[in-house]
Amino acid sequence: MIVLDPNGEKLNLMPLNVGPSHPATHGCLRFLAAMDGETIVASVEEIGYLHRGFEKMVERGTWQQVLPYTDRLNYCSAIMNNIAFCRTVETMFGIELPERCKVLRVIVNELSRINDHFVCIAAAFQDLGGTTPFMYAFNPREEIMCIWEKLTGARLTNSYARIGGLYRDSYDGFENDVLAALDSTEKALKDLHACLDRNRIFLDRTVGIGKISAERAISYGWTGPCLRASGVASDLRKDEPYYDYETYDWEVVVGTQGDCNDRLQVRMAEIEESVKIVRQALKRLAPGPVDIVDPRIRVPAHKLAYQDMEGLIGRFKSVYEGIRVPEGEFYCGSECANGELGFTIVSDGSGHPYRIKVRPPCLTQFAAFHELVEGGQLADSMAVLSGLNIIAGELDR
Amino acid sequence: MNTVEEIFSVLEEKFGVKRDTRDKWGVCAVVGAAYLHNVVQFLKDSAAIKFEMLVDIAGIDYLTYPNHEGPRFAVSYAFKSVSTPGQRIRLKVQVSEDSLKVPTISDLFANANWYEREVFDQFGIVFTGHPDLRRLLNHVEFVGHPLRKDYPAQKRQWLSTNDYLLPALEKRLEDLGYRVVQRSKEVGTNDNEFLEGSIKE
Repeated sequence: MIVLDPNGEKLNLMPLNVGPSHPATHGCLRFLAAMDGETIVASVEEIGYLHRGFEKMVERGTWQQVLPYTDRLNYCSAIMNNIAFCRTVETMFGIELPERCKVLRVIVNELSRINDHFVCIAAAFQDLGGTTPFMYAFNPREEIMCIWEKLTGARLTNSYARIGGLYRDSYDGFENDVLAALDSTEKALKDLHACLDRNRIFLDRTVGIGKISAERAISYGWTGPCLRASGVASDLRKDEPYYDYETYDWEVVVGTQGDCNDRLQVRMAEIEESVKIVRQALKRLAPGPVDIVDPRIRVPAHKLAYQDMEGLIGRFKSVYEGIRVPEGEFYCGSECANGELGFTIVSDGSGHPYRIKVRPPCLTQFAAFHELVEGGQLADSMAVLSGLNIIAGELDR
Repeated sequence: MNTVEEIFSVLEEKFGVKRDTRDKWGVCAVVGAAYLHNVVQFLKDSAAIKFEMLVDIAGIDYLTYPNHEGPRFAVSYAFKSVSTPGQRIRLKVQVSEDSLKVPTISDLFANANWYEREVFDQFGIVFTGHPDLRRLLNHVEFVGHPLRKDYPAQKRQWLSTNDYLLPALEKRLEDLGYRVVQRSKEVGTNDNEFLEGSIKE
């Protein structure tokens, strides 16, 4: 297409389509860029290639049946989504969780965060042509995946949290496994920093690329590590503490430039903070129940169902009719790996959700994508894209 | 101490908002559609706590809600404050089935653009003044609005083509100060022509 630029100069631009199935557009993202040579002049994005109708599907089942669906939002840190959803419903019930449940949730939350950040960092470097950091990052991730296997029986879509508790208590040797995973996490971080901090090629590709100011990021509703990379110390774990996050000793990581490099460095530093939190949480892990005792909310244990009339009724009613969440509307956000994962829940007091709206952290970040890449090179757009960590599962729902 | 409550009473005084009794866990104000833009502007710029971030826009269809009175649809806005961490407020606009119109706030918040497109896509609620009200998650060829309660969940539609982004790209260029002199040869005279290539027939 032939255009006149703001100075009245004639340009011949080429529309270039990237995605939806392109190796660097993790998941299915698509954007159309108007190219002037190698430079992106304008870009528009399209999403929805992974739209599975999450919000329609969950209206058909009971409240507990929402949980497996939440796994498939951000599939890199499935347990965090479970916990975010359970927390919203538990707030509506006004449940006070047992101490062990809270500490276990903090541990799996932070391990998921480590996992998610490692995937992001690994994929970002892979996209820039670096294979070694990918291996460094995926070794500790594999150890955490093995913990998930032992703990929940699944590697990716775990469905570990339950409304009012957890699927089950941790296994024997859980603490040692976690400690070992933390050690290799720290080793991997060291390797990653050695590999990247002074790497000329990497810095050239990421420093000053995809910059966004704090005001603009806030206007776009950015949350999580991407917003913090722009210098805003906003973290729900500190701002609206839950699960006693305020009592752990850790810092909110903040960047300065808001560029691609900062977004990745913030993630690496956040892994360190998560390691700190998990180490403290492991010390607090005292024996005790993980579920609340209320057959109307949390199904009674299996062995009760076979021996106890009340247990049998509780199990039957909770499975067939679903738990009855108090009538009302509520929005609650939790700090997930990519930012604030929120649920707007409308309950009519029956066993089925009336409406659940997911607020995915990725959507706001991808909505700003054109502003980040315009004026840059086409190859930079890939660095920007992977630095934002767009997960199509939660983007498109 | 509870300053969100104070802001709510200011809103009550200035804009005549009502408390949404359904939100028992936070503060939610029911706003008349005509006042929405002013209320949002007030919350963003001049309230005692500035709500700088639009967190979410959710459409709600009350068609099958037990004992529901009033308009069928509602659009719920969630805001949070960045300068005063931990403060949140929700707004709700009721939308009747006949008008289906809500003023846009995409001039105030950059992310409202996509959120409003999503509500339009899923519920068919039109945001007046929106610069580019297209479907966001569903395909261009999709017929109907899937999150309405009367849309059957098991209904299937044959969808075969991508969104046609060239007109959107031209619009983006014009927003940036460029002027399109000659369109790409891929663009026909009629922007909808591309649908004819779909295998729907």
